[in-house]
Amino acid sequence: MEVSKNSFKTLSEPVKQFGGLVGIIILIFLTFFVLNNIFGEGDELVAKMKIEEERIAEERKLNKLISSLPSGVLVSFDGTDNFKLSDELYEAVCKATKLIPQRAIMGANFLNFRAHEIYTINGNKIDETFVKWDDEKNKCFAGFVVSGNNVGVDETIKVSGEALSFLSTGIDTRVYFIKNF
Amino acid sequence: MKKLIFFILFSSLITSLALARSTGCKEGNCDNGYGKWVYTDKTTYEGEWVATKKHGQGTETWPNGYIYKGEFKESQWNGIGILFFPDGSTYEGEWANGFMNGEGTFTWSDGKQKKGIWKNGSFQE
Repeated sequence: MEVSKNSFKTLSEPVKQFGGLVGIIILIFLTFFVLNNIFGEGDELVAKMKIEEERIAEERKLNKLISSLPSGVLVSFDGTDNFKLSDELYEAVCKATKLIPQRAIMGANFLNFRAHEIYTINGNKIDETFVKWDDEKNKCFAGFVVSGNNVGVDETIKVSGEALSFLSTGIDTRVYFIKNF
Repeated sequence: MKKLIFFILFSSLITSLALARSTGCKEGNCDNGYGKWVYTDKTTYEGEWVATKKHGQGTETWPNGYIYKGEFKESQWNGIGILFFPDGSTYEGEWANGFMNGEGTFTWSDGKQKKGIWKNGSFQE
């Protein structure tokens, strides 16, 4: 021990300084390594970031497609003068659509009187709306949930059906017809 | 410079007023008589009016493709009427309080039919 102390003292000043610098760098690396193990999410965080990046890229792609569509009514069926969506466009528009306007909800309520009653009692309030692409059926489904107290009974009703037409405003798309019959 | 700013502001005001969506009686007499009313969402009603209410024969057209042609009472679909759904399906028959109530025929866009008694929009088996 005494020998090594003496040999350290015999080292030149620049070598000592270099050794100190290397020591500090190793200490910093070790500190970050320990902190990362305690607080860091590591691979999990990287995976989350990748998913988010993919989601943003997909959203940008859909927004680009939406802005290329003609403004007006877009339909997925034949027999109208409106713009007919191809299978690919139908899927893309479905995935990009989030809004369901009041007339589409009122139309779906024609076949669901209880939902209509709660909707009216609650001043046209909707708890939740959804637009989903069904990969198995290759169809777009949309719907809404209404809830409230009707004649002393608390009710929650989910109305859903195939979204067959959309409105393109040039900025976004909206479900225009829910076929729930 | 002041004139230019005034001109720009004035033009913007005129443009926004011209493009603003408006509701109201656009043609005829919407108090008592025959008239056309246009709502802010572009739903239109053209038909008979009694005491500022839709009453008598008329046609209501929704912007998303629903069209009702028939009788109205107290501004609601009441009496005999036909509703065209956006996909081409129809219901023809009796209506009460805005719903299929009474005898009627529902025809799907593929031609399939259901005929019978309806209560509040539901077929009575």
